[in-house]
Amino acid sequence: MMKLASDPEIDKFVADFSAFVDEHMPTAEEASERPRSCSHVPEWARRWQRTLFDAGWLLPGNPPEYGGRNATLPQMLAHQEVLSRRGIYHSFNPQGVGIIAASILTFGTEEQKKKWAVPILRAEITASLGMSEPGAGSDLAGLRTRAVLDGDHFVVNGQKVWTSGAHDADVLLTFVRTDPDAPKHKGISVLLIPTDLEGVVCRPFPSMTRVDDIDFNEVFFTDVRVPKENLIGELNKGWTVANGSLGHERTMLWIGYADHLEDLIRDAPSDNEWYATLQMDLQALRLLGYEQLSGGKDPATISMLKLFGSEAIQRATWHALEESGQEALIHPARTAPYNHMDHDAFGQSWFERYSRSFPGTIAGGTSEIHRNIIAERILGLPR
Amino acid sequence: MEFEFDEDQRLLQQAVRETLAKTRALPEEELWKTYTELGWMEAPPVELAIVLDELGYVADPTPFLASATWFAPLAGRLPEGAGTGVFDGAGRFVLDADRADEVALLTSKGVQVVSGAQIHAERLVVFDSRLHVAHVTAAGHQLVAGVPDLALTGLAATTVGACRRILDLVVTHVKQRHQFGVPIGSFQAVKHKAADMYVAIERARVLAYFSALTIAEQDPRQHRAALMAKAAAGECQQVVYRNGFQLFGAMGFTWENELHIYLKRALAGDLLLGSATVARKALLALETEIAA
Repeated sequence: MMKLASDPEIDKFVADFSAFVDEHMPTAEEASERPRSCSHVPEWARRWQRTLFDAGWLLPGNPPEYGGRNATLPQMLAHQEVLSRRGIYHSFNPQGVGIIAASILTFGTEEQKKKWAVPILRAEITASLGMSEPGAGSDLAGLRTRAVLDGDHFVVNGQKVWTSGAHDADVLLTFVRTDPDAPKHKGISVLLIPTDLEGVVCRPFPSMTRVDDIDFNEVFFTDVRVPKENLIGELNKGWTVANGSLGHERTMLWIGYADHLEDLIRDAPSDNEWYATLQMDLQALRLLGYEQLSGGKDPATISMLKLFGSEAIQRATWHALEESGQEALIHPARTAPYNHMDHDAFGQSWFERYSRSFPGTIAGGTSEIHRNIIAERILGLPR
Repeated sequence: MEFEFDEDQRLLQQAVRETLAKTRALPEEELWKTYTELGWMEAPPVELAIVLDELGYVADPTPFLASATWFAPLAGRLPEGAGTGVFDGAGRFVLDADRADEVALLTSKGVQVVSGAQIHAERLVVFDSRLHVAHVTAAGHQLVAGVPDLALTGLAATTVGACRRILDLVVTHVKQRHQFGVPIGSFQAVKHKAADMYVAIERARVLAYFSALTIAEQDPRQHRAALMAKAAAGECQQVVYRNGFQLFGAMGFTWENELHIYLKRALAGDLLLGSATVARKALLALETEIAA
């Protein structure tokens, strides 16, 4: 139905969670050691994540044994919104929690859930995601990293790239080719590869924004022997895992974009017209997100939310940069209030915020790919 | 909040679509009779937006929009027959003023409802020939400005409807039209333009319905929401007009192809009561006002 008010039951949920956050959130002093990559989690941030897990507030949609409280979808949305509104990361290893642990919980065995998912969710270990390769970006299913079964081990050879946080991660959820003769989507499997295995080499490299911004990695695998029991999901059914785990993440991705737009409204007040457009983009994105979550929409509409949200951020950061005039040359520079619970709290210049909008329109499917998806799956245009 | 049509709203949308698919060849008077008999004019704001969205989709020629969203919010009731409202302070570009039975005037003494015979209305020649637009002189009345949020929302919803029609026509066209041995819709350059039309429509659509919802619930954000809806519909029109026209190729430039009917309705919807640029500026001014 259409109504502006939220349910009292949701209000209660939000109030409970907010009270919990007020009581347990780390202070700025405690949080002085900053995470340097998305799999580097300082001790204070690990404690915070564990506190959330133990109280069932980490991923409220999960059952209690996996850091939740069997929350409903509207409650999960409300939880995300509280985190977003207050600028709080529930985990400083967001891919580990949001994608890797989620994949293991969906596709893994009970043993794998205990051995890997729970430690990731409790921040005892951190995890990164190995998908892209030098020759497999938008065409991910073309990946070539090989895994060959040899007794009770897979032997892995190949290379990943753009693996965020790999050099700080304990384990990589790695997409590998297990059947080179099958059609490309049907020969992929998923392995959990601990980074301390012999033959795993991570080479971190800086992003274009700052030479000391080191999150990305190339990861090389040379005759790495991975125990057979580290296979997540069925052999050669890795594409299902890719769709399942990323799909889960994507349904709520728009909340992050909305949050980002809200930050821009705060950080770049203007009396020029783009500022009105920015506010409209935020309102529209929220409405489209709510509509999406209420169900019944084509899953491909998630492409629209991603495309729209990421491009709205790009437009707005450009305008904010331009409006700063020559001041925008200064870098690094602080354009947002310091927020110790946010991964991006380091001083970011408008140059950096604008430049960082490009990973938004490139990673997770480029804007071009999402336009194709909209045209083909929603509008029905021929492939 | 919840943002999803309920069962009744979905059924209404379906019923309006079915009715309009059947009535498209009927003369204006018959259409008007059908709409009033079905009680569409009495619909509350969200349901009214559903109707207007569909009326935009068929580029409706009747004075429904003016009666339901220009007259009614001013007069506080529906008109006897057709109605319109004058609320721009100058009586310029008033929808359906030349054929209104009743006219609600926003004056320095409040709203005055007069009969159509009591004003002078000069119908203008406009590019959308199915649209009635007139300049109004109302002797003895001092007109003042105050655009109702429902009027902005109504125009936004009809514009969205016209844009949806353009996209549907374009999608059909690019699937059928073959060049170089393939449907032109298989070209990525075409797909991307169509996808951008879709995104622009979705953005404008949710803002139009959100505006209707804030009016229905008398929410304090309603003026802001109405300006957003009007601006987004105008921005949507810009993308949809440009890409839609372009993707139709030369065929879109003829009077014989029906595309022009909807292009004109969409563009007129942007211009009436001020284009997207005007609405964006008003939105910014509103912010400043709230901040002050």
